[in-house]
Amino acid sequence: MTVLAVDIGGTFTDLMAYDPGDNRIVQAKSLTTPDDLVRGVLDCVDKSGIPAARVASLIHGSTIAINTLIERKGAKAALVVTEGTRDVYAIGRGNRPEAYNLLFRRARPLVARRDTFEAHERMMAGGEVRTPLDDAEIARLTEALTRGGFESVAVCFLHAYANPEHEQKLGAALNQALPGCYVSLSHEIMREYREYERTSTTAVNAYIGPRVGGYVRNLETGLAGVGFAGELSIMQSNGGVMAPSVAVRRPVTMMESGPVGGIIAAAEVGRRLGHPNAISFDMGGTTAKASLIGDGQVTMAEGYYVGGYASGDPVMAPVADIVEVGAGGGSIAWLDEVGALKVGPHSAGADPGPIAYRLGGAEPTITDANVVLGRIGADDFLGGEMKLDAESARAGIARLGDKLHMSAEETARAIVSIAIAKMSLAVRQVSVERGFDPREFALVASGGAGPLHASAIARELHVPTVIIPCFPAHFSALGMLIAEERHDFVRTYLARLGEVDFATIGMICEEMIAEAGLVVRKEAAAVPQLSFDLRYVGQEFSLPVPVSQEQIAAADRGAIRAEFDRLHEQRYAHRADDEEVEIINIRLSMLGSRALPSLPKPEADQGAHHYSARPVLFDGEAPVANCPVYRRDALTPGADIAGPALIQEYASTAVLFPGDRCRLGDGGELVITVGATR
Amino acid sequence: MMVKLDPVTLEVIRNALPAVANEMAADLQRTSYNMMIYEVRDFCTALTDAEGRLISQNVGGVSHFVADIGVVIEDGVAKYGRDGFSPDDVIITNHQRVAGQHLNNIVIYMPFIYEGDLLGFAVTRAHWIDVGGMSTGFGAGPTVTDPWLEGLQIDQLRIYEGGRLNETLHQIIKDNIRYPESSLGDLRSQAAACKLAIRRMQELMDRYGRETVLASIDTIFRETEQKCRNVVSTIADGVYAAESVYDDDSVDIDQPIEIKVKVTVEKGHMTIDLSGCSTERRGAVNARTLAGARVAYKALTAPQEPVNEGSFTALDIVIPEGNVMMARYPAPMSSWSLIVPTVVDTIIKALSPAMPHVIPAAHHGLLGGSIVFFGNHPETGKSFIVQSIEGGGWGGRPMEDGESGSVSVCQGDVRNAPIEKIEMQNPVLVESRGFRTDSGGAGKNRGGLGLDVRVQNLVPGKWNLSRPKRVKTPPWGLWGGKPGGGANFLLCLPGENDFKVVDSVMRPVPAETRVIVRTGGGGGWGDPFERAPERVLSDVREGLVTVEAAEREYGVVLDAPGTGIDRARTEELRRKRREGEAA
Repeated sequence: MTVLAVDIGGTFTDLMAYDPGDNRIVQAKSLTTPDDLVRGVLDCVDKSGIPAARVASLIHGSTIAINTLIERKGAKAALVVTEGTRDVYAIGRGNRPEAYNLLFRRARPLVARRDTFEAHERMMAGGEVRTPLDDAEIARLTEALTRGGFESVAVCFLHAYANPEHEQKLGAALNQALPGCYVSLSHEIMREYREYERTSTTAVNAYIGPRVGGYVRNLETGLAGVGFAGELSIMQSNGGVMAPSVAVRRPVTMMESGPVGGIIAAAEVGRRLGHPNAISFDMGGTTAKASLIGDGQVTMAEGYYVGGYASGDPVMAPVADIVEVGAGGGSIAWLDEVGALKVGPHSAGADPGPIAYRLGGAEPTITDANVVLGRIGADDFLGGEMKLDAESARAGIARLGDKLHMSAEETARAIVSIAIAKMSLAVRQVSVERGFDPREFALVASGGAGPLHASAIARELHVPTVIIPCFPAHFSALGMLIAEERHDFVRTYLARLGEVDFATIGMICEEMIAEAGLVVRKEAAAVPQLSFDLRYVGQEFSLPVPVSQEQIAAADRGAIRAEFDRLHEQRYAHRADDEEVEIINIRLSMLGSRALPSLPKPEADQGAHHYSARPVLFDGEAPVANCPVYRRDALTPGADIAGPALIQEYASTAVLFPGDRCRLGDGGELVITVGATR
Repeated sequence: MMVKLDPVTLEVIRNALPAVANEMAADLQRTSYNMMIYEVRDFCTALTDAEGRLISQNVGGVSHFVADIGVVIEDGVAKYGRDGFSPDDVIITNHQRVAGQHLNNIVIYMPFIYEGDLLGFAVTRAHWIDVGGMSTGFGAGPTVTDPWLEGLQIDQLRIYEGGRLNETLHQIIKDNIRYPESSLGDLRSQAAACKLAIRRMQELMDRYGRETVLASIDTIFRETEQKCRNVVSTIADGVYAAESVYDDDSVDIDQPIEIKVKVTVEKGHMTIDLSGCSTERRGAVNARTLAGARVAYKALTAPQEPVNEGSFTALDIVIPEGNVMMARYPAPMSSWSLIVPTVVDTIIKALSPAMPHVIPAAHHGLLGGSIVFFGNHPETGKSFIVQSIEGGGWGGRPMEDGESGSVSVCQGDVRNAPIEKIEMQNPVLVESRGFRTDSGGAGKNRGGLGLDVRVQNLVPGKWNLSRPKRVKTPPWGLWGGKPGGGANFLLCLPGENDFKVVDSVMRPVPAETRVIVRTGGGGGWGDPFERAPERVLSDVREGLVTVEAAEREYGVVLDAPGTGIDRARTEELRRKRREGEAA
C-alpha cells in the first residue's frame, strides 16, 4: 500500500509517494490554489496517477494555519480573562525591540477590546482558589457571549497552568450553551506560566480554529470522495504528525507544518549515513533556513513570534528551531546609498523572478550570478524545459559591476560570496552560538538552491561533510513520509531541585502521560520522553534536561543536576556547582509510532554515464575551462567524483569545488568531503 | 598601512562585528541571575578599538547605553597605559567621575590583545540589582544627595589579573552588597561574555588578517557616517530649538529642571547644544552623559542600522561642565537617567518642523512605571524583590495613533514582568494591569494610553515609589494635538479607604497595603476635530475614550449608549468650537 505526502507551499503543492510494492517513489507538483486548498490537494493526487484507494496513509502539511493568522482571515473571536487582566493581551510585554524606531508598531491583538470579557474569579500561583467562579458569573458570561454571536471563544485565566478548574468549568458551560462555537482553553493549549504569551497562543488557536478545522474536515470529506480510505495525518510544527481530530482542536501546532518536513528528512538521511549530528540547510527562492539536529533529534524551540519578534504574535507551541535569513535564489543584489554591495532581503521571487527566467525580472539575483559563474547551466535548467537567458543575466550583473569597477564575473562571485556569508551566519547561529562545534556536524542541503551553495558554506564554517539528499527540491514532502507521531505537553511547576517532592513530580508526569494518551493514536505503542526545564536559582532562562521515569521514581537528584551542569557548561562555557538549581517546567513529548516506509534505493541508469563540460568560475582568477558536468540520475552508488565538478538534476545543481570529493551513498545521496578551507 | 579591501570581505566583516556583540548579549541575558538583565535588558555589550571607539554594540537593550562606553575605556587606558594590560585581565569600574551614571551600572571589560598588541576591548555594562547603600532594585532614588549614600564606588580595578581572581576585591564587593549571589553571578556572566567576544575577534583576525579587519572597521565607520549625513542633508540648514521642564529633583521641589535644546543643522552636520539646560542639582538627577543627544540623533538618522562610532561622527554635542547632563563628581547621580527621555523628546520636538513626516508627538517620557517592592518573607525568612517596568503611551504620529503601554524612548526591548511570574516568586497580588481610559492625548491621530497597575502586598515590606515628574510639562501634542499624561503613584494602607499620592523610597508598609502605579499617555498629533467621527466612535466602543471625552475633546456627539454618531450635532459642535477658538 502506498504512503503519500502532500505539502502545500506558497507557490506549489508538492507530492511525494512511495509504494513498497513496486519500490517506487512518485513525485508530482501542481500550482497551489489559495481559494480552494482542498482542490489543490486532490488535483495533485490526481496528477500523481496514484489511485486514492491504494493509499494507506496520507500525511499533509499546509500553510493554512499560518496564512489564516498572517492574513488576518480568522474567526470572529471573543476572549475571556481574569478580572483585572482585560488589557494584558494588548499590553503584551510593553517592549520595543526596535529600540531607536520612533514609529515602531506593537503586535495587534486578534480580539477587539470590546470582545474581551473579564470573569470574576481568581487563582493563586500555588493553585489555591482566591475568588471562586460561581454559577451566576458563568451564566452572565455565557449570556454575554451568546449575545455577541462569536464563532470562537478563547479562555485564559491567571494561573490556570497551576489549577485549570475554572477554565474547565467555564469551558463545559460554553460547550453546552454555545453549541457550534469553537472553544479554546489556555491550559489545554499551553499549560505554562506567563499570561501574555499563553493568552496570545490561545487566542491564535481560537482565531484560526474554525477555518483550519473546517479545512481539515473538508479535506477528509474530499479525500473520501475520491476513494481514500486510509489514515490521514496532519504535520505539526514540532516535526510530528497528529490525527485530524487533534488538528481540529489544536491547529496552533500546525504553524510551521511545511518547513519542518525537510528537517526531519535531514535528520533521517544524516542518521542513515552515520551523521546523527547534522545541520539542515534549506535554500529556496526567497529565504534560507538552518536548523540543528543533535544526536538524530531535531532541535526544538518553545515557541516563536509569527511575523517576527518586533511586532509578531507569540505562539508558544514547540517548533523546530529554525533560523531564517533573507537569501534565496531570487534575492536581489543592490548597492546601498554609500555604494556597499548588498544581497537581499528583497527577492524577485518566482514572479518576475531572476533576469535569466525571461519573465520580466530586471534586477540581478543570486540565481543570475550563478548563471554568470557557469554554475547553473542555461540550457539545463529544469532538465532543459526552461531555457535561461544567460546574456541578459550577464548584462544585468555587469551593470551593477560597472558601479563597483568590477567585471561581471567578479561581481557575480561577490554576490554569491555575500550570500554565502549571510547564510553562514544563520548556520553559525544554530551551531557555534549555541555551543556546538560545526566541525562535528554534516551539512544536509536541500531546496532548489541549497546544493549550489552548500559546499561553500561548509568551507566557511569548517564543516567537513556535505550531504545532498535525493529529491532536494521536494525534501519537505519527503520528510513528511517518514515523520513519526509526536505530541508535546508542558506543565509549569516551580520547585527547588534539592527539596522537591519527587512523588508529586511523579504524579504530575503520570497525569501528563495519561492526557497524552488521549490524543495519541496507538496509545500502547507510544513512548513518553520527559524533561525538566532547569536553571540556577535566580536565573530566568532555563535549559531542558532529559530525565527518565526511573530517575524520577528513584528521586535521582544527583544525576539530573549533573546533567544540567554539563549542559549549562556546554552552552554557556561556565557552570555554578555551588548554586541551587530549580525546576520551572516539566515537559513531555509523547512519541507515537507509525509504520514508516524504508525508502527505495535509486535506480541507476547503468548504461548512460552522461556528462558534458563547461567553463565554471570557482575561487580562482580564471574559470575551470572544462569543468565536468554529471547527471545525477546517471550516477550509481559508490561513484566517486573529484571536484571541480557539477552534478545536475532536474530542479537543482550541486557544486563541487576544487578539492572537494563526492561519493554516492547507498541511498543515492551525494556525500561530499569538503576540501581544505582557504 | 593601506590595505585594499574587496567588497565581499568588507561585507562579511560588516555583518560579523555586530554578530559578536549580539552573541555576547544573548549569552549574558540567558545566564544572568538578575531581572534587570534578563527582562529589563538594562545592559549593553560592545567592542571598541584601543582608543575606545565603538566597533559594534548589541541591539535591543536600553537605548541610552549607546553613549558613554568610550570614555570609560579611554580612562582605563590612561590609568594602565597601552602596555599595561595582560590577556585575561578583567576590569571592573563604575566610578562616577568618568561613567556619570548610577553606581548600579557596572562596567566589566577585557583587553583584546592580538600578536602582543592591544587592539581593542570587549565591554559590558550591566545594571546590578544592588551595589550597597540605597541602590536596591532600579537604583537609589533621587533623594540620595551624595554618592557615598548610594553604594560602592569602584574605580578601574582588576577583578581578574591575568585570569586569576582578585580575592580581596571580590570579598569586599561580596560583603558590601545585598543579593551578592545575584551580582557575583552577573560578574561571572559579564566576564564570560567578554571572553567570548575576544575569542570571536581572534577568529576574525586569524581568518581575514589583522590589517584587513582594521581597515574594514575604518571603512565601516566612514560609510555609517555618510549614511547619517545623507539623512541630515535632507533637513534645511538652520537652527531649531525647543524646551521643556522636568518637574524637580525631589530635593528642591520648587525648582523645575529646565531642558533647553538648540539644534543646528549645516550641510549634513548636526550640532546638539544642551547648554541651556539647568546646572547640576542637589537631588540625584545629575548625569555625565551624551546619551540624550545620541539617542535622538540615532532615532532620526538610522534607527534600524547597527551602531558604531561612525553613527555619531557627524554629530557634535555641546554640554558645558557643570550642566545637569555633564555633572562633576561628587554630584549625586543615582537617578541619572530620569530626565534623559525628556531630553530626547525635546530634541526630537525641536526638529519637528524640519522632519514633519517622521516625528511623533511626545511620549510619556518616563523610564517607568516601575514597580519595586522588597523585603523578607515572614514565614521563610527568604528575601524577595518584585520589579517590573510598566510602559506608557507614545505620541500620535503622522500616519496613525500612538502605541499604548510601551517603554520609553530610552528603553528598547525592555519587558514588563508577567503577573504570573511576579506572584509565583513573591508574596504579592497583582490586582490589575490595564489601560487608562482617556489618558491618550486627543488628536487627529490620538496619543497612546497609559496604564494603571494595581498591586497588593501580602506581607510587610518596602515600596519604592518616586513620584513621576512630568506634570509641569505633560507629554505634548504636535500640530494641534492635545497633551497626554497623568502619571502617578498612589498608596492605600490597610483600613484606609482612599488612595493617596505618594513620593517615597524604601517606604515600609504593613501587609495588605495596596499601590497603584499609573503611567502617562502620549500626546495627540494633529487637530482632534479632524479626527474622523467613525474613529472616535470606534475608540468609545473599545473603551479607550469615554462618551464625554468624545464630545469634549473631539467635538463628536454620540447617541446615548455610544453606538452611533449624531452627525448633525457633531458638525454643529465642531463648527462652533472652531469659531470659538478663532474668536
